[in-house]
Amino acid sequence: MITAQAIFIGFFGVAAVWFGIVVFRTFSMVRSAIALLFSQTALGAMFLTMQAEFLGVLQIMMMATEMSIMAFFMVMFMMDPGGMGKMEMTHQKHFSMIAGVVAFVGAVAIAVFIDWGPIANTVADSAEQTKALGLELLGRSMLIFETAAVTILTAMIAAIAVAIKPIPREEAKDKA
Amino acid sequence: MSVELIWALITGAALFGVGIYGALSQTNLVMIMMGVELILAGALINLVAFWRYLHPDVAAGQMFVLIVMTVMALEMAVGFGVAIARFRSRGSVEMEEAAELKE
Amino acid sequence: MTVILMLLLLAVGVYLVAVLEAWITNGRFRLAAPVYSALSLLGRESIIPRKSDLLFFEVGPVLLLIAALLAAAVIPLSPDLIITDLATGALFLNAALAYILVALIMAGWGPNGAYAMIGGWRFLGQLVAYAMLIVMPITAVAMRAESLVTTDIVVSQAGLWNIIYQPLGFILFFFAAMGLAFLPPFDLPVAEGELAGGVESEYSGVRLAIFRLGRMVLIITLAAATVTFYLGGWQGPILPPWLWSAIKIMFVTAAMLLVGRFVPRIRETHLLAWCWKFGIPLALLNIFAVGILLVMIP
Repeated sequence: MITAQAIFIGFFGVAAVWFGIVVFRTFSMVRSAIALLFSQTALGAMFLTMQAEFLGVLQIMMMATEMSIMAFFMVMFMMDPGGMGKMEMTHQKHFSMIAGVVAFVGAVAIAVFIDWGPIANTVADSAEQTKALGLELLGRSMLIFETAAVTILTAMIAAIAVAIKPIPREEAKDKA
Repeated sequence: MSVELIWALITGAALFGVGIYGALSQTNLVMIMMGVELILAGALINLVAFWRYLHPDVAAGQMFVLIVMTVMALEMAVGFGVAIARFRSRGSVEMEEAAELKE
Repeated sequence: MTVILMLLLLAVGVYLVAVLEAWITNGRFRLAAPVYSALSLLGRESIIPRKSDLLFFEVGPVLLLIAALLAAAVIPLSPDLIITDLATGALFLNAALAYILVALIMAGWGPNGAYAMIGGWRFLGQLVAYAMLIVMPITAVAMRAESLVTTDIVVSQAGLWNIIYQPLGFILFFFAAMGLAFLPPFDLPVAEGELAGGVESEYSGVRLAIFRLGRMVLIITLAAATVTFYLGGWQGPILPPWLWSAIKIMFVTAAMLLVGRFVPRIRETHLLAWCWKFGIPLALLNIFAVGILLVMIP
């Protein structure tokens, strides 16, 4: 049976995949980053359709900033960020295509042929969901959540340590 | 069987496939990271679909999604750190020119 | 019905903001000025720059307007006058406002002009500065209300407005909101003097009108958000709730516009340094203080 929910999921799913393909088909790097953003936003809309309101809104919010920063780095590092020279930037295209298709077919086969068991039709309303998520995060799964926080801190320090401009030894001695 | 679950899973599979293609075929570090983001996006939609249609009463499913989102942000931060270091020392972030890192 | 009423009120608000902005910037109080300038913009030719990224050029201003309108959708003007009362309203406001950045980057990149592009990327740097100072004070507000629903947040301030309960959060949020709406002294992306209009510089005619309209809606939405989070929303004696909201929103808007008149434009580096070295520790302190207050006075 096709419900309104299924139609919306299909629509946003097609949008997400379409924008995902556009990422690798356009020559303009900024367009490519923005296409990825809209792919992720369509995904956030899918979450909203699946009544995961908090996650959907969070996805939509986080990705806007993340992908804008990605666009900025593209412009910094690319020789042709505007895509006006139509530079070729791929290698092993044939192999990658096959790998992508195999991965897709395999995942679809698993999705279609496995018996997923009983399907839940109702879900708690979003206020209760948010509350339950909060209790989960600061209760039973607190350790995991804290691990994520510590990982973020480590990644921040690591990223800055890698990216910072190294000071030559003599200069460092002078400063000290 | 539910149409919604299957469609969501197929979307996840398609994003995963596109991501694999991108991560393998692009020569630029930043573009490869975009491929990885798409792979993780495919994982995200699967997680939310499983939570919604199989275990809507378990909040741990949503928490898993939060952790994956964190991983996405971390991947970007560390990836850009590496990209900056690479660009500073070699002047480009092309993968074809980074073969000496293998040795 | 509510949607139409809200849009009408928003239109009136935009008109008042336009009058107010003209009054504050050039010192002349003219009620017809917004009408004249809108008509003159609509009557002018809308030039498309050479070799532009046409898609971004067209979408940028429209996205700015849409994002500001979406953010306005979760703001309550009275207990019933709200477009959607989402369970995650305070978070949704942030999500919608994040697209302001995307709109400005698109509008800056699209026209293929140096000043516009620098303006767009400047706003990205500005976001790195203000983003945390928007989110963290809202966290403290949501902590007190024990809810992300905007109407609940207003109700939670019945006894004492948040501006008195957490003044630090109010100050940070107020200035961060000004940064988000790129009002002077934070008008780095559209700086008149240094960038010749920045993001706005390549736009003309209808598109510039849409861009300016989007920015007006953004200013009024942020003022309304400040009122909702810190000034007790629709609450007040004697007058009807919606009128109280309107009065407070106009007051906050005037305050936001007035600050820029007396302060020189901030440099991007200074903005980043101040926000990260002083703003974020203060915001954390605010969260901490509110937590202690909540535990001590239940």
